[in-house]
Amino acid sequence: MQSVTRPPQNNHSDTALNLDPTILLPPGYYQHTYMQSGNMSAPAVLLPSDEVPRDNLPTDNSNPLRLGPGLRILSQPSSKGSDHVLTATQAGMLSIDAKRNAASLLTFPNRRYIPTVNDFVIAQIHHSSADFFHCVITPHTPHALLGQLSFEGASKKTRPMLKQGEMVYARVQSVGVGAGAEVELTCVSAATGKAEGGMGPLSGGMVFDVSTGMAARLIRASSAPVENTDPIEGLVVLSELGRKLESLGGFEIAVGRNGKVWVDCSDAAEGAVKATIAIGRCLQETDQQNLHAHDQKKLVTKVLRELKLVS
Amino acid sequence: MVSPILSQLNRPDGSAAYKCPATGYNILGAVNGPVELPARRDALKPEEATVEVFVKPGTTTAGVAERYVEGILRSVLGKVVLGREKGFPRRGVIITLAIAGGENMDRGDSYLTILPSLLHAALLSMISASVPLSMTFSAALFGVTKTGDIVRDPSPTAAKASVSLHVFAISSKGHLLLNESEGRFDFDTWELVHQRALSVCQGTASADGDVTMGEGAASASLHGLIREAVEDQIYSDYAYKLDSI
Amino acid sequence: MASSATTGNPMPPSLSMPPSQFARLQPHAYLRAHLSPPSSDQPSVRANGRATSQFRVTSVNTGSLTHANGSAVVRIGDTTAVCGVRAELLHTSDISSWGVSQAPSKQNPTNTNEAKDSKSEDEDDQGQIQDLNLLVPNLSLSTGCAPGLTPGAPPSALAQSLSHQILSLLHTTNLVRADDLRIWYQPPNFDSEEFHNPGEGMEVDTEQSGGPEREIKAFWVLYIDIMILSMAGNAFDAAWASVLAALRDTKLPNAWWDDDNETILCSDDFAEAHRLTLRGLPIASSFCCFEGDAAAGWRANVIPDAEEQKKKKGSQQKWILADPDGYEEGLTQERACVVVDKENGKTIIVKMEKHGGWNVDSDDLRKLVDVSSQRWDDLKQALEQC
Repeated sequence: MQSVTRPPQNNHSDTALNLDPTILLPPGYYQHTYMQSGNMSAPAVLLPSDEVPRDNLPTDNSNPLRLGPGLRILSQPSSKGSDHVLTATQAGMLSIDAKRNAASLLTFPNRRYIPTVNDFVIAQIHHSSADFFHCVITPHTPHALLGQLSFEGASKKTRPMLKQGEMVYARVQSVGVGAGAEVELTCVSAATGKAEGGMGPLSGGMVFDVSTGMAARLIRASSAPVENTDPIEGLVVLSELGRKLESLGGFEIAVGRNGKVWVDCSDAAEGAVKATIAIGRCLQETDQQNLHAHDQKKLVTKVLRELKLVS
Repeated sequence: MVSPILSQLNRPDGSAAYKCPATGYNILGAVNGPVELPARRDALKPEEATVEVFVKPGTTTAGVAERYVEGILRSVLGKVVLGREKGFPRRGVIITLAIAGGENMDRGDSYLTILPSLLHAALLSMISASVPLSMTFSAALFGVTKTGDIVRDPSPTAAKASVSLHVFAISSKGHLLLNESEGRFDFDTWELVHQRALSVCQGTASADGDVTMGEGAASASLHGLIREAVEDQIYSDYAYKLDSI
Repeated sequence: MASSATTGNPMPPSLSMPPSQFARLQPHAYLRAHLSPPSSDQPSVRANGRATSQFRVTSVNTGSLTHANGSAVVRIGDTTAVCGVRAELLHTSDISSWGVSQAPSKQNPTNTNEAKDSKSEDEDDQGQIQDLNLLVPNLSLSTGCAPGLTPGAPPSALAQSLSHQILSLLHTTNLVRADDLRIWYQPPNFDSEEFHNPGEGMEVDTEQSGGPEREIKAFWVLYIDIMILSMAGNAFDAAWASVLAALRDTKLPNAWWDDDNETILCSDDFAEAHRLTLRGLPIASSFCCFEGDAAAGWRANVIPDAEEQKKKKGSQQKWILADPDGYEEGLTQERACVVVDKENGKTIIVKMEKHGGWNVDSDDLRKLVDVSSQRWDDLKQALEQC
């Protein structure tokens, strides 16, 4: 049995690129601004100050156009009133989502994790105080705070007693304002008071470090519908591992946007440690070598054979 | 031509290695931002990011010359960074440039020969760190010889022998972002070098016969070089996305 | 009763405020209001009453420090720089690389083949000044010269970069001749009769054919210390002018190698001391560019291309200010500096730099060079009067 823990569908953390909902252009805005012409074949890479090619933008004028980070709208004062231009402020590949009527920029992925509200992260308890657990989500940054009572069904008496070094799967509740602001985490959904999407202490298993770009890819891939058999985000490594390790009892996985992946195969009895390490290695290799779908399958076969998990 | 390498280092937010083929300088740049600058909170500007530049020579400790070139870089880069974007005000963008290879700088040496390499490494590192920028730029070094010829990217020895040395940084929109010239020259010479710099950076074919010599038409513009380096890195990072298209 | 009524009902506070308060509260708008001419045919006037390309009154005073070999005080408006030049001896026997570095230069065939003898000599001495660090400028900002400078702090980045700028300019302009700094020794010809009379042979520095070769026994090292007593903007122009004036004032005592004592002796006779013969008179002029739109960085406007910007020159949104004072420097980011010299009435640019923005283009720089060459005439007069 393979069970993959999935964060719930969430408008902020799972969408392709954290679309900033504050930048909304009025419906029909681009209709008069951008002329229609031929289609581009290769995805365009934009550098700062490059204009977004007009013919690439979605033409659905019933919804406002959503802009992701790295793009901004500038006005060009001219004699005939002001004109609007979309320009890039970062370098990246232009990605247009016609269905959601969104334009965003895929920038360099290997970046330090900066906490953003509603992101799922894997945090490690550093120490606990009267009201809070002080957790580490990224190295060399101030600790994030996780309330002692922000667990499902937690009260003064039933709260979990987490010790130093234990891991939790949590959501970023707030990041504060200005310099030196504290990041607050929570393990319950604000709406339901339940621990949705597998939030809570992670017992057993092991945590592997991956790049933040890989973590985002894993989250996007896991949020796709199950019946979709095509490789999502070019990732087949997880489904391949799931297929091959099914006989051992499957595995559980949780992905934190802070570049951490928690893997547990406790169902696999004596092969548990080996299987956990195999999964971790496969994910890290895929990340570091930037493997294609074909190579990912080869890697899985190779690693499992090396660890004598599959004959 | 050796292409610059982006995002080479794992720890910083962005990094780039730039090797200038003509002068031989090899610069390793790393950018962290936005980061908190705790010790200097009172010195921070409340409405925008503070840009800090550190230049580390390969063999010695940084001295007065590095302070000077850091000041120049800070003023050029600070103007290009959009320090008011979300998450940047009151924080810092730290740019560290290590001179990893090339001729050693002696005390009192002119820093002009290395300035274009430093500028390129800093720009590529900032792009790699996804620091929001209002524009990109490219920079070039020119020497004017005794006979009045304009030489692009003279080697350090050729630079010492030249009558005047010029560094230009031209933005992606054609602005003159930086000019550093020294030696002995008049304004007409400077204007010729300036035209040459525009054509080298932007890649526009110059109609002027005087300024197009020594270089094959095949040599790409510097803007194009920067763009190619970024495109290569992005295409390799998102190779999985391109496969599925 | 009447007095209590007046204190009970004080005058309502006036809504207007004195210019000095306006200048502090809205510095950008204040300067902009000054610069915007009331009508199009009137020139812009700055808040300090100067025209845009007008420099502050400059005064130069030399020889103020008695213990230095040369000194000068330069005052540009409220910015004051003091410079002292002190010469110290550097024995060639103390230079570890001396024997090594000398050998190849003597054998260097280009020196003899070069048709332009003077030029090759120029390059030669440039090498010696730079390689042996014969010029050592150091600039310090005195405590209290400007608000915000704390005493006891290590040299600020500003002081360090100014030091480097001065050193770099001394090197690129070849201002000081290495020959002025050399102390030669002509070993007596032991075969000749003069050997018995060493006192005369030493003093007379004539070329003796057939004798042993003339050799350099020592160099003068010039320690150029600059102190900014008061900083009200444009520290570089003042510092450079003070260096120039101090070097023009510098007198080196007559020094010779005494073979018997194996040491350098200096004459205390002031009449025997010689002045430095400087190459040219490079003079620095600094500018800053004031942008009319204070909120330009906030506006989400397309930055126009360089060519569009040129076309829109008519609507003036920037002012280039010569010799900015501290108030103006605080409001501008874009800087330009032009160092010019004149030879036979022809202006030669020695150094030109601009950075920190994109408003100053080549047309503006051309104008700045013209302004700088006028400044050269003015400052030359001031330097020669003292």
